[in-house]
Amino acid sequence: MKAKDLMTPLQEYLRPDNTLKDAVNLLRTAKRGEERVGVKGLPVLDENGKLVGMLSMRDILKAVWPSYMSLMDLGDFTWDGMVESIAKKVADKKVAMVMTRDVMTVRGDASLMECVDHMIKKNVKRLPVVDKTGKVVGMLYERDVFFAITKAMLEENSSMLKVEGSKFNNKEDEGEK
Amino acid sequence: MTHEAATASQPFVMDTAFWTATTIFLLAYAVIVSEKIHKTIIAVFGAGLMLVLKILEQREAFHLEEFGIDWNVIFLLISMMVIINLMRPTGVFEYLAIKSAKWGKGDPMRILAIFAVVTATLSAFLDNVTTVLLIVPVTILIADALEVDALPYLISCALASNIGGTATLIGDPPNIMIASKAQLNFMDFIYHLTPVIIITMVFYVFAIKLIWGKNLKTKEELKKRIMAMNENEAIKDPVMLKKSLVVLAMVLTGFVLHGMLHFQPATIALFGAGLLLLLSKTHEPHHVLAEVEWPTIFFFMGLFIIIGGVVKVGLIKWMSIQVLNITQGNLFATSMVVMWFSAFASAFIDNIPYVATMNPLMVDMAKQLWPDLSGIQLLHHVDLMPLWWSLALGACLGGNGTAIGASANVIVVGMSEKLGKRISFGKFMLYGMPIMIMTVVISTVYVWLRYYVLKI
Repeated sequence: MKAKDLMTPLQEYLRPDNTLKDAVNLLRTAKRGEERVGVKGLPVLDENGKLVGMLSMRDILKAVWPSYMSLMDLGDFTWDGMVESIAKKVADKKVAMVMTRDVMTVRGDASLMECVDHMIKKNVKRLPVVDKTGKVVGMLYERDVFFAITKAMLEENSSMLKVEGSKFNNKEDEGEK
Repeated sequence: MTHEAATASQPFVMDTAFWTATTIFLLAYAVIVSEKIHKTIIAVFGAGLMLVLKILEQREAFHLEEFGIDWNVIFLLISMMVIINLMRPTGVFEYLAIKSAKWGKGDPMRILAIFAVVTATLSAFLDNVTTVLLIVPVTILIADALEVDALPYLISCALASNIGGTATLIGDPPNIMIASKAQLNFMDFIYHLTPVIIITMVFYVFAIKLIWGKNLKTKEELKKRIMAMNENEAIKDPVMLKKSLVVLAMVLTGFVLHGMLHFQPATIALFGAGLLLLLSKTHEPHHVLAEVEWPTIFFFMGLFIIIGGVVKVGLIKWMSIQVLNITQGNLFATSMVVMWFSAFASAFIDNIPYVATMNPLMVDMAKQLWPDLSGIQLLHHVDLMPLWWSLALGACLGGNGTAIGASANVIVVGMSEKLGKRISFGKFMLYGMPIMIMTVVISTVYVWLRYYVLKI
């Protein structure tokens, strides 16, 4: 099994100059297959289709999280409405300012273990799959890999696999990034 | 000409070693000022050159007080960092900051003034960068809660930490270095510098009220956000907090008594760090020790060796003769030149390499003035003492002049930039330079009045 066999072909993506408002709306309504179920992360491509970053739900959370919070334990001293008021302030920020720039990608012919290796070592939950020219052709989600593992574990019990597998297919990928 | 003047008292020759050491010293300082390469790397490389080119023998660099690394400074810094690193997770600093904001009853100007005093007081006992790192995040949170501009809080925090740090032996690295070189104890600093810093802080609080008071207004309902904060929630580890406070109290008592007990300050601090590490029951000292600011420590070690090299070849002695020529041996004039020159020098270059150079220069100057004296009689000569205090006041307070004058300023400006509240070099100077001049003027009056008029 290779990355290209498991990936979801590229359907939706963001531009670096999209606003966060546009971005969260697309994250909320992005297509997965035929249905608009939303996703937890999207690739950011420039006008030439080149991958310049990834924007995940975690990046959106970071956008409303003041960086001084990282320096001390101040969570106990925040107030109601703080997140909402910052969210309104950052709504017009550009995706380019918030996205994760250092993105780990895999080629379509990468082995499944290579993908697992990247996901664990880089602590990412989705990998853009690129062709020879570096163009993004699809996305490999943690759940896709998980499904492949599930299949291997339950192969001898194919009836069980059918029920569980169809359930997984409709579920969003878990976790962040 | 000057060469001959030097040979009159103690001969030294401007030979290859002299020029090699001087070149290393000047190049190292030039690169440090240019900030093209990290200062620690330059210091360590320069030190390596001094050794490999045989300007200094390794034994001199590692084991001689006259030319080598001042281990008293190194271990005092490391030990205090370890103590603070162990205390930080207890939440005591968050507690203190939130408590201060509540003392201010949510009034932005009162909070600004209280934070200034708290920052100055903390800085007197902790290193300035640590203090700023502990206070700034809370001040921004408070400014956000009150929906007022965070800029006054940020700038004031840096300025107050530099003023407060001047007050004690352990408050600011220049003082640590001066204390070690001049064999001054903790109580000497309390007796000679703390009074002028208290006076300075009174003026400082009035000054910030004048500068920012008008624009710091908030709504009543926003004040409630501050009053609703429960500082007790900040304490994450009450058991460790108690242990830390006991050890800290012991260390401070030790500092107060170290002169009488004939301990060096580093002995007190090292014992405190060791004891607190033991009491913390950590099985993994790795992370506590890794958090020591090793780049700063290595910067010091490298600098000491570079300075040792130029002391050995006589450059510093030559410079001290120049200073005495300028002031014609008038010690009040010398003391004023030292203070004001130190202030402006420290506003633009790091005060650590500056004081590292000035320390041996002061000793050489004293040797010129009183060639018959040596040891403590020389270092503590009644006419030399005001010069040490002028050096400390100038070098520490001068840091306020510009955004790059002190590490605390660099940290505050860096943090502000990250938070999208950029403080330009000019903007910092607009507030910092007048405050620096005000504080040095106060120090000038103090030194003149205390040591040259009242002679107490």
